[in-house]
Amino acid sequence: MTKHEQINHSLEAERGDTPLLPSERMWGFWEFSYANSALAIATWAFLIGGATALFVGPREGIAAIIIGNILGVLLATFSTCAPCGKYGTEQFTFLRSMFGANGSRLVYVLAVVLLTMGWLAVLGLMFGRSIDGLGSLVSDHQTDPGGALVLAAGTFAILLTAFVVAKGPTSIKVFNTIVAPALVVIMGVMLYLILGQHSFAELMALPALDAPFDSKRVNFMIAVEVNMAAGFSWWPYIGNLARLSKNQRTAFWPNIIGIFGAAALGEVVGLLAAAALGNSDPTVWMTHIGGLVFGVIALGFVAFANVTSMINILYTAIVGLRQLAGAGLRALKWELLVVAFCIVPVLIVLLGPGIYDGFFIFLVWTSALNSALAGIGIADYFFLRRQHLNLRYLYVNDRQSAYHFWKGFNPVALVALVAGFAIYVVLFNPQTLANTELFAFISASIPSCALAGLLHYGLTRVLAPRLGWGAYPKDDEGRGVIDSIVRGFSND
Amino acid sequence: MDSQAEIARAQELERRIRAYEELENGDEWPGALRATDYIAIILMTLVLVIGCYLWGY
Repeated sequence: MTKHEQINHSLEAERGDTPLLPSERMWGFWEFSYANSALAIATWAFLIGGATALFVGPREGIAAIIIGNILGVLLATFSTCAPCGKYGTEQFTFLRSMFGANGSRLVYVLAVVLLTMGWLAVLGLMFGRSIDGLGSLVSDHQTDPGGALVLAAGTFAILLTAFVVAKGPTSIKVFNTIVAPALVVIMGVMLYLILGQHSFAELMALPALDAPFDSKRVNFMIAVEVNMAAGFSWWPYIGNLARLSKNQRTAFWPNIIGIFGAAALGEVVGLLAAAALGNSDPTVWMTHIGGLVFGVIALGFVAFANVTSMINILYTAIVGLRQLAGAGLRALKWELLVVAFCIVPVLIVLLGPGIYDGFFIFLVWTSALNSALAGIGIADYFFLRRQHLNLRYLYVNDRQSAYHFWKGFNPVALVALVAGFAIYVVLFNPQTLANTELFAFISASIPSCALAGLLHYGLTRVLAPRLGWGAYPKDDEGRGVIDSIVRGFSND
Repeated sequence: MDSQAEIARAQELERRIRAYEELENGDEWPGALRATDYIAIILMTLVLVIGCYLWGY
C-alpha cells in the first residue's frame, strides 16, 4: 500500500464512518479544549444567560447555570464521548449497537438533520443580527431583525461555514485554535467591565427580570432546566468531535473546560449583563458596558463565534450523514454533501427568519429528546455492554449482524426513547412552561434520562436473551464481546 | 460488494477492526478512563451541584 493510499484512508475515516485509529487522531487535550470552547461560545451562550435572568436573580442564576450545565454535559458526554473516544467510531454508527442500523438512521434524522438545520439557521441569524448591531454602532443604520442586512449576513455565515467544513477537520482545528482563546479573553474582559460598574454584592442582590411564577422553587427549577437543556444539546455533536481526540481520556476531560466551563462563563456574563442593564440582547449591552470601541470588537468576535459553532456542528452532521444511506452517500464527494446540507438552512434564513425568536422553546424541546437518548446510551454502553463493543457487528451487513435487532430497529430502545420523551412533556411543557409539582423538585430532563435508561436496561435484560438481540453479555460474563465471528441473529 | 473501491474499503475496515481487537485483547487500553477518572468526575459533580444549590438557592 502506498503512502498516498494510506493518507486517503485516514481522510476517509476522518470524514466517514470507519473507526479512526489512535495514531490518526489529530486532537490532543488542548486542541479538543479549543474545539470544545469554540463550539460552546456563541451568541446562544449569552442568550441562555439572559433567559436565566428572566426567571431568577443573578445569585440563583449562577447556581442554576452551573448545576444545569454540569449535569447536562456530564450525561451527554458519558453516553457519547466515552464510547466514541475509545473506539474512534462515528457516533451514529456506534448508535447501531443500541438502536439497530435503521433505528440509528431514525435517531440521526430526528436529532441531527432536523435540529442541525434549525441550529445552522438560528446561528446564522445570530451572526446576521450581530453584524446588523455592529452596523448601527458605526453608522446611522437602524437595526432591523428581519432586514436585508441580517438575512444577507446570515446567508454569508452559512456559506463561510460550508467553505471551512468542506476543507475538512484540519481547517476546523486552525479556526478553533485562533478564535477560541480570543473569545475566552473577551468574555473575561466583559466580566471585568460588568464588575467594574457594579459590585458583586450589588449584582447578587438584583431580582429576576420577569419571574413567571410566584413559587421561587419553580422559577429556580425552570432556570436549571433551561441550562440542563443547553448541556444536553451537545449530545448530537460531541461524539463525532470526541473521536478525533487521541484517546478516551482526551475525548472526555476537555468537555469540562469547553462545553461546561466556557459555556457556563458565557452564560454567566449574559446573566449578569442582562440583570445589570435590564436587556438580554448582547448587541445592546455589549456597547453599554464597554463603550463604542470595545462594543465593535466584542460584537465582531461574537458574530464569528457563531460561525465556529456552526462549523463544528456541520462537520459532525456531515460525518453522520455518510452512514445514513451507506455506499450511496459515501460515494458522493465530501464537498458536495456539505453544500447540499446547507441548502435548507439558507432557505430557512431567507424565508423563515422568525425561527430566531423561538430559540428557547426550540432549545428546551431538544432536551426532551436528548435527555432520553443520553439515558439509553449510558444504560446500554456502561451497564449492559460493560464498555465493550464488537466493531464487526457495527459494520457488517444489516441482516448478518447481532446489532440488527428487528428489521434494523431495536424496539426496546425506541420504546424507552418514547417513554423518556413523554415523561419530559408530562412533567414540563416547553411550549407553555406548564409544570407538575414533581418538576419543581426533580426537573424534567433527569426523570426523562433516568426513565429511558431504566426501561432500556430492564426490557433488554428480559427480552434480548430470549429474542437473540444485540449480543449483550450475560450476567456472569465479564466482557461484552461474546465472539468475533459474525453470525446471523436476524429475527425478520 | 463489487467495485474496486468497496473491496478496498472492506480491506481497510478489516485492518482497523483488527487493530481495535488487538487493543481489546491486551491487558491495558492506552488512555482509557479509569476508576480514578470516574470517581473524580462524580465527586466534582456532587461538589458543584450541592455547593451551588446551598450557595445560590
